[in-house]
Amino acid sequence: MSTAIASGSGTDNGISVVLEGRITAYTAAPIWQSAIDTLTRNPNRPVVVDASRLEYVDDVGIALLFDLIRRDRPADAKVEIRDLAPNLAALVRGYDPKDFAAPTRGRRPMGMLEHVGRATAQHIAYAKEMVGFLRACAAALRQALTRRGIVNWGDVLDIATEAGANAVPIVLLIGFLMGVIIAFEIGLVAQQFGAVIFVVNGVGVAMLRELGALMTAIVFAGRTGAAFAAQIGTQKVNEEVNAISTFGLNPIHFLVLPRLIASMLVVPLLAVLADIVGIFGGALVMATFDIGFRQFHNQLLGAVTAGDFVLGIVKAAVFGLTIAAVGCHRGLATGAGAVSVGLSATSAVVTSIVLIVVIDGLFAIFTS
Amino acid sequence: MTQSQARSDNVAMAGGATSPAISVRNLSMGYGARVLLNDASFDVRRGEIMVILGGSGSGKSSLMKNIIGLYKPMAGDILINGDSLITASADEKAQLQRKLGVMYQSGALFGSLNVLENVRFPLDQFTDLALADKNLTARMLLRQVEMGYAESLMPGELSGGMLKRAGIARAMALGCDILLLDEPSAGLDPITAANLDRTILSLRKNLGFTFVVVTHELQSIFAIADRAIMLDPVSRSIIAQGKPADLRDHSNDPRVRQFFNRQPDAREQKASN
Repeated sequence: MSTAIASGSGTDNGISVVLEGRITAYTAAPIWQSAIDTLTRNPNRPVVVDASRLEYVDDVGIALLFDLIRRDRPADAKVEIRDLAPNLAALVRGYDPKDFAAPTRGRRPMGMLEHVGRATAQHIAYAKEMVGFLRACAAALRQALTRRGIVNWGDVLDIATEAGANAVPIVLLIGFLMGVIIAFEIGLVAQQFGAVIFVVNGVGVAMLRELGALMTAIVFAGRTGAAFAAQIGTQKVNEEVNAISTFGLNPIHFLVLPRLIASMLVVPLLAVLADIVGIFGGALVMATFDIGFRQFHNQLLGAVTAGDFVLGIVKAAVFGLTIAAVGCHRGLATGAGAVSVGLSATSAVVTSIVLIVVIDGLFAIFTS
Repeated sequence: MTQSQARSDNVAMAGGATSPAISVRNLSMGYGARVLLNDASFDVRRGEIMVILGGSGSGKSSLMKNIIGLYKPMAGDILINGDSLITASADEKAQLQRKLGVMYQSGALFGSLNVLENVRFPLDQFTDLALADKNLTARMLLRQVEMGYAESLMPGELSGGMLKRAGIARAMALGCDILLLDEPSAGLDPITAANLDRTILSLRKNLGFTFVVVTHELQSIFAIADRAIMLDPVSRSIIAQGKPADLRDHSNDPRVRQFFNRQPDAREQKASN
């Protein structure tokens, strides 16, 4: 198999470039460069390209031949291709250099100001959309409470099983580790002041009021919020959402409501599990600080109230509602294509986690 | 030297001048234990447009995926320009696959790249060409499929016919010999489908491609096909080979006549009566 060669030589009458061998996508780069270099070095001399020894050209080779003759040169310094196969010559002549005169339109890079402006406009539009969506969700929830047959409880059960029961192992693991870590870190400091017993208070209050609900919500956002966005986003891309609307069904009732209700029910239950194993993990660590289980139990009962527990559960329900609403909204706002589904899932997780922390802050302010 | 001769010469130098572009030998294929096609053999001659036909579920698209090496057949061999795809090493298989340009049913353009970037993608991956040269090649390919005006559009902004045209341009980018098209006319209006047929014929005439087209659109079959093979899901075999008009007018097989004459199954016909 011969390789294509572009060789240039000068005579008094002009420049001769000989193309020989095979010009394919894989071999064209050096030939193309060499031929163009010859043309560039001799801007005012006519160039004859001898194509008689060409064995094979593919689409890239045709582009190369066209590139040689399309260049803007003086009338007495034109490029002429000789002995090219008639079919190829006709093919090359079939392209009009004017069609390729405009530069390729690439992506216009955005300036920082434009970035900031676009992002601000996007967030304002998103906030408006989200408010409208939440209103629709609130109306759907109200209808679900007042009218029978609005909620498909079969769907709610399926979603609760997938989002709740199947999430139990990961929630137990995270809750347990949170209890262990808090007890251990605070215990080491408290030991220096002879106040190890008060670590029980810290573990109890932290798990019941804050960490049980917060860590469960973060796991739920990563696991289920993203799944909601991806499921509904794929349904949107496949026009299933349009099909639901065309049947006269409300996508909010059909797709969103079961997810909202299921999430509002299962996140508090998961948070209770996280509370229990977190406190158990704390008790195990406290045993290494010579605080026995009975002593731990007595101290815990004195440190926490039913209000702490209820606050954690209410927070968990609000977090569940928020995560489901964001996930479903992101799913319904998905654009076209697989990329949009990925973006929706990512955005659902990030937005949910930010909102969870903000809502947790608001709870802290209004309940302290 | 014509372009089609040039493509033949290309193969001649690789040692396969007399071999068919694609040769399927005693191929059996399917999924798991489910056999879709049993002991099938046929050749695709250089420069011809061969259509694979058959009803839904007969294994047309699966056969194409076997030919391009996406699926491994249960038995038999597939030769591309005389070289076996089945016994080839991983590197040799990749080399053989680069001789095949494939257009999938949906076009399968990358959603994050615009049309020009999609067509340029194989050149970006496999060549050392300068960006300007790759852009020129991609723009010329887009003009070959009458899509020059759409180079800066994103796939999400294209119609079904445009997606398929851009898919064909991308399939041609690495100078392959053989183009395989999966359902090119499916879901297109008659005018767009006829335009696509014209593009296929002009690519064969101007650039000498060999085409394997999977379709069951009768008008397209008669417009473009030199030869056709017909698959049958019940007997799991090739039940007819030949020119489409001959199959329609002279086949003794009632299944072939039923297909070309668009007749419903006898049972359904009775029910409607």
